[in-house]
Amino acid sequence: MNEKKSADVWVFAEQRDGELHDVSLELLGKASELASQAGGAVVAVLMGHQVRELAQILVNHGAHIVFVADDPRLGQYRLLPYTHVLESLIKKHEPGTVLMGATAMGVELAPRVAARLRTGLSAHCIDLKLDEKGNLLQMVPGWGGGIVATIACPDHRPQMATVMPGAMRVLPEEEREGRIEDVSIDLPDSNMGPEVLGVERTVAGEQPLEKAEVVVAGGWGVGGKENWHLLEELARLLGGAVGATRPPVDEGWARESQMIGQSGKTVRPTLYLGIGISGVMHHIVGMDQSKHVISINSNQNADIFQASDVIVAQDFMKIVPPLISELKSRVKG
Amino acid sequence: MNRIIVCVKPVPDPKHWDKVSMDPETKTLKREGIPLILNPLDKHALEAALVLRESHGGEVVLLSMAPPFAQPLIREGLAMGADRAVLLSDRVFAGSDSLATAEILAAGCRWIGDYDVILCGNQSIDGSTAQICSQLAEMLNIPNVMHVIGLEGSSGDNLVITQKIESGSVTLSSGFPIVLSVRKELNKPRYIPFTGILAAESKEITIVSNEDVRVDPERIGLSGSPTKMAGMDVRKFERKRERLEGTVDEIVKKLVERIYQCGVIEC
Amino acid sequence: MEFAFTEREEMLRKAVREFAESEIPPKMEKMEETGEFPVELMKPMAQVGITGIITPPEFGGVGMGYLARNIVLEELGRVCAAFPMSMQVHHMACAALSDFGTDEQKKKYLPPLAAGETFGTVGVTDPAGGSDVIGMKCTAELKGDTYIINGRKCFITNSHLSDFWIMVAKTGEGAKGLSAFIIDKGTPGAKLGRKENKFGLRGANTGEWVFDNCEVPKKNLLGAEGQGLTVGLKTISETGRTGMAAVGLGILQAVYEEAAKFANERVLYGKPIATLQAIQFHMAEIYTQLDICRLLNYRVNWMKDQNMRCDTETSMAKYYTCNAAVEAAKKAIEIHGSYGIMREYAIQRLFRDAMVTVPAGGTAEIAKAGIGRTALAPFKK
Repeated sequence: MNEKKSADVWVFAEQRDGELHDVSLELLGKASELASQAGGAVVAVLMGHQVRELAQILVNHGAHIVFVADDPRLGQYRLLPYTHVLESLIKKHEPGTVLMGATAMGVELAPRVAARLRTGLSAHCIDLKLDEKGNLLQMVPGWGGGIVATIACPDHRPQMATVMPGAMRVLPEEEREGRIEDVSIDLPDSNMGPEVLGVERTVAGEQPLEKAEVVVAGGWGVGGKENWHLLEELARLLGGAVGATRPPVDEGWARESQMIGQSGKTVRPTLYLGIGISGVMHHIVGMDQSKHVISINSNQNADIFQASDVIVAQDFMKIVPPLISELKSRVKG
Repeated sequence: MNRIIVCVKPVPDPKHWDKVSMDPETKTLKREGIPLILNPLDKHALEAALVLRESHGGEVVLLSMAPPFAQPLIREGLAMGADRAVLLSDRVFAGSDSLATAEILAAGCRWIGDYDVILCGNQSIDGSTAQICSQLAEMLNIPNVMHVIGLEGSSGDNLVITQKIESGSVTLSSGFPIVLSVRKELNKPRYIPFTGILAAESKEITIVSNEDVRVDPERIGLSGSPTKMAGMDVRKFERKRERLEGTVDEIVKKLVERIYQCGVIEC
Repeated sequence: MEFAFTEREEMLRKAVREFAESEIPPKMEKMEETGEFPVELMKPMAQVGITGIITPPEFGGVGMGYLARNIVLEELGRVCAAFPMSMQVHHMACAALSDFGTDEQKKKYLPPLAAGETFGTVGVTDPAGGSDVIGMKCTAELKGDTYIINGRKCFITNSHLSDFWIMVAKTGEGAKGLSAFIIDKGTPGAKLGRKENKFGLRGANTGEWVFDNCEVPKKNLLGAEGQGLTVGLKTISETGRTGMAAVGLGILQAVYEEAAKFANERVLYGKPIATLQAIQFHMAEIYTQLDICRLLNYRVNWMKDQNMRCDTETSMAKYYTCNAAVEAAKKAIEIHGSYGIMREYAIQRLFRDAMVTVPAGGTAEIAKAGIGRTALAPFKK
């Protein structure tokens, strides 16, 4: 195996309808760190139809090389054609590491590619490091998140991982130099799996929770949809977004896209304000990288207090309404 | 339809996860005395199979890689309505990662044979790797779809599948055979009917070892798994844990100060 | 002797527990508030097999017997005792029909009960009767091919929820002067009376029937004329009392769990109160009572399944378990301190529910009167 190439870190640049998924940019941030440590290049693989213009965005976020597989047959994501293209590129260039987002697309595609290449894959990583031998150490939360396992893939390459959206930091976007290279693809005509009959978009554009500087999150303790507006108002005053644990999503107080935690999003805002949240590990793994954590919960021994900088052991209905009035009177404008 | 295989996994009951502890010396998990349950999403997969059988006929076979003591749990799946079960049990399977597990399950599927649809849960609650669907399909060289939230058999040999994605959903059309992994939105699994408990007593659980399914020993178990456990840690929190005390007014004033100190707003 | 449950019984318990823990809690607040049973759960309960647990398969039931029924009622009661209360009376109707019904009656009435299309209900007590069954005032007078029924029946579980009623009325004098009838809903002269407002088991419907020259065809006799006391006593003793004991057992299990959880969570003087010996003694007593009652209950239902005579044992299980549930709930309230009397804590409901099981199906005193006779009989001079 070519030594130099095996130090390269590849990122699958996920896009749908010409829109890059944020996790792809986050992965480029991590890949830059890993590649510079290993002395390799950051390579992005972009697939789709009429998506070339996205390549420069990838370069500007840290990709040294972007392979663009642009073809009408790749316009709509389909598992088997995408697997085929990735397989041939990886076999040709033999990168040491391949990263994908733990998105709906990534968790379907990555294991299929890994199985085809007969290599190891770790899932839903929250952090990645390189050891001195160039092995990727992949931190994976398990058992509801309370335990973090470190996975390595010492004897196979590429070493592959899917990474939780929001877990890695994006490099600042700036004009950077990079090579954008079109790759020719050779797709079989048949046996390419299910046909796409249609795509339905149900989630409207909203401020992505992962990008908010302040996250006001609510749990079961908020008590009902009728109290949820208090969180929205507080978030508005703080210029933030509203997140939730699983119960409010299950109860329909909040949308699924607002769920924070192991089966939802990872947030790392400057301020996380948790309201009526007990603090099961499933949730904590999605928020414990926040810079400051304030929790309000009437239970004196709520688990989330262990993971909080500021603790208010009070019924939130007593605290939040006066907090809102106080903020209103003090916030400029 | 000829046959539907449903992959099910016994997992530790999450109600008892607080009893899991880690041996600080060996860095291994101590999980004695934690009861097993059927992985919750696998029940949704089984429900989907039972519904498909109602409309399209065929046989529903449970497939699980587990030690023989998992039989009572597998029998719960039979009580829900599956026709029979195959239990892949062999010491050489122990320690398999998801790739090696997919290899073993694929061998189990081939051993059962004649499958049109293979169903599984999108992920297990313990490992949560969500890799089996794609890897099993790859080993069997057939297509697969994950995140299934809608499933309809439109005609004799065709399925219309709804797949959930971040921004909404994708509708797909597929022939047989195919591997599908389901999300909980797909359906509500039936409760075990008492008549099913009685019926399950005469249903067969076939225990199959690697003598029968003959997977290359190099590709299974701890040594045949490409991923290795390099370490394990209990997550620790390093936070200030400052409790705000006093009257509501005092607490709110202090709270506002703390928020300002974070630098997210100006006054 | 064998004290272990079979794999079948273990799976049955797990199946019911899963159903109960998922389906019942969302209904409980409204049940407490309105006193109404959530009838929409009848069909799901039937699909699982709860409604037809003792009914033979040829009439749409599961036919798993009484020990199985005990497990089902106990597990329902662990979550909310109004459910097994309603179901155990439902089963009384199933048992009365199975034991005494004609083929035609079984074919007509048992399948809808098993399918959860209607509730089973049995009315023996009238305002003048109660435990003194023969003292009832409700009469049925034969005129041609029709009985004319007059009088009232009270404290009837599922009274307002059923499409047909099983009741006992006087057709003569003395022990042979009672007869049982099946009365279809809408029979002229059969009317619903008041609904009771109980302080416990609130979700179980209890009420009255009023009979005003109600005309019932002769073919609606359940059993022969004059067999009413047997119909009533066998059903009450073997199905009703075992059922009430199972309700008490479910409450007792819930009391134990609530108390143990609270004692471990509540911290006073820097330690959970579970570390205090006074609390440990309370818990030991609750736990021992729970075990005694389990043994009493499982044994009597096993006897019933073996077709052994068990009327004394049903009385012992019923009075002892229901009293033990009350005593345990009182102790658990003491463990809870002031929290114990707050609506937010389940223990106060468990106490109220336990209290209601005491008179239902016969008071402890009437039970003891029978048990005492049995105890003394071998040495009678």
